[in-house]
Amino acid sequence: MKARPPCRLAALGVVNALGADAETVWRRLLSGEPSQLSWNDALVPGRRLLVGAVSDPLPEVPATFARYACRNNQMALAALAQIEAPVREALARVGASRVGVVMGTSTSGVSDAEDSFRHQRDHGGLDPSFDYAQLEFGGLAAFVGELLGVTGPAWTLSTACSSGARALASARSLLAMGLCDAVVAGAADTLCGLTTNGFAALQAICEGVTNPCSRNRAGLTLGEGAAAFLLLPEAGGIQLTGVGESSEAHHMSAPDPTGGGAEAAMRGALRDAGLAPEDIAYLNLHGTGTPLNDTMECQAVARVFGSALPVSSTKPLVGHTLGAAGALEAAFCWLALARSEDGVLELPPHCWDGERDPEIPALRLVGKGESVRPGGPLRVMTNSFGFGGNNCTLVLERST
Amino acid sequence: MSGPTPTRAHVERWFAWSPGVEDRSAWEGWAAAPRPLALEGHPDAAFLPAMLRRRCTPLTRLVLTAAFGTLAENERSRVRTVFATRHGSINESIELLHAVVAQERLSPTKFSHTVHNAQAGLFCIAAGNREASSSLAARADTFACGWLEALTFLEREPESPVLLVTSDVPLDPTFAVLVREPAAAYGLGLLLGSSGDGPAFDFDLAGGGEAGSQPWPDAAEFLRFLLAGEARLELGRFGWTRAA
Repeated sequence: MKARPPCRLAALGVVNALGADAETVWRRLLSGEPSQLSWNDALVPGRRLLVGAVSDPLPEVPATFARYACRNNQMALAALAQIEAPVREALARVGASRVGVVMGTSTSGVSDAEDSFRHQRDHGGLDPSFDYAQLEFGGLAAFVGELLGVTGPAWTLSTACSSGARALASARSLLAMGLCDAVVAGAADTLCGLTTNGFAALQAICEGVTNPCSRNRAGLTLGEGAAAFLLLPEAGGIQLTGVGESSEAHHMSAPDPTGGGAEAAMRGALRDAGLAPEDIAYLNLHGTGTPLNDTMECQAVARVFGSALPVSSTKPLVGHTLGAAGALEAAFCWLALARSEDGVLELPPHCWDGERDPEIPALRLVGKGESVRPGGPLRVMTNSFGFGGNNCTLVLERST
Repeated sequence: MSGPTPTRAHVERWFAWSPGVEDRSAWEGWAAAPRPLALEGHPDAAFLPAMLRRRCTPLTRLVLTAAFGTLAENERSRVRTVFATRHGSINESIELLHAVVAQERLSPTKFSHTVHNAQAGLFCIAAGNREASSSLAARADTFACGWLEALTFLEREPESPVLLVTSDVPLDPTFAVLVREPAAAYGLGLLLGSSGDGPAFDFDLAGGGEAGSQPWPDAAEFLRFLLAGEARLELGRFGWTRAA
């Protein structure tokens, strides 16, 4: 295997239902209380849904970039604003043409497009403030690039729920290829009528809080949010050391029930990082709470890791943020590593009703207040499995 | 560190389709006298099972035709794939958006076939392919960034080739009025490897050209450059230099 240059996840900005800064998000993640979820009856006709909506006020898109003014870009802006200083520093150091942008989204500005279609219905024309750049998927990365004033490549990945994880994978390769000396990468997704009604039509949304791995699980809880990382080709700190990818060739909206695709992604990430299963201290599950996902994922995890590895799904606390989930869950792993002290890793708890499903392998689901002390470097993994059978698993590491 | 140049890719094979320009000799003729591509029409995609073909949108037919046309039969299930499309299934999403605004029930099948990676998912199913796959968009830079995403795949695993498919259809008038671009119905498949017998191109970010300055899509401009045997192509800030 070839030696890979280092890839440091040097800074993180994060926003979701838990909060709009890293400290608040981490504190509430550890609390294991889904109390930040809220009821919404405007998304799906005749249905009241519990969702992970961002309640913090989002920054306005500056007037210069008005064509990009939509809630999804505001979401990205809220995450970017938190890493503005290190990004500006990197930009000044390496030059605008050496900074790239790779973002992920599954919604882009669909929620604003819906508003514009309502305007069209009521007034006979699209809202004049609407611009196609808000809706097209490439708009997210273009907005981030133009906002930061970078002239390196900027593209948006959209592979459904693995988009955010893929963005980090591509960013790492961009650095390794020597085309960029810094990359801003992450993802943003926004609650909107299209995806909410789409998942409702697929009968994938549960009543109340999602209940991953439980025998009573009945579907997912949707959410929104954004995460933005600054990636640098340097050693130290928290490194992105493993990427594993697979497709399923099975079904457009249901995973391969054997978990073969999930297993291939996890094994690929271990191989890429040069690690054995026992080197991993914690796994953030995709854990959507749909009957099919949790069955296949738990089987795949058990085949790769056995049943001793601490695992949790953070989706009951945040909701499933779809295109942003891979980046947000990498952010949770990053926060766990960044806040570890003396080799002790505090873990986000798995929030559920505690009723095991006898049909699926019993994994070690993290309880509230649980921590591990693996000894040696701290390595954690996060799974993201998307619609269309697109899987991406990442490994993050902090040397001690 | 030795090994392949990370920004170099060999074009091992290609296949392109646009209404009226449907095989290699037609594209060679087009490259000698390029003109805007047609807006209407899509391939039969007769190689697909009838069940699947009936559900295929024009974009899906273009993508799958380009993909299957590029690959040998024994490669279909083994290559990694990158799908670059600026607009993806947005034309089909318009119908869903109207349904959302009218508070009507959505069709679950239509919803799952309008995600940006729908064509990727359908390719993997039709080809029995379980390898890594990515789908992207980058406004006017979609072709170049697709190439770049394919290079990131070669960076991760230089030994295994990557299929890059770039495809779009003209935007629905609802949005077309908001976008300036050389609209066309087309699909281009390129099988890229970090080594091989095909012509090699070094990719850089030193381009000084204006994006989308020719009256046909960037993917077609790249194909013209490939067939004309020219030394250098610049599309916006992106550049390709033919390796000696």
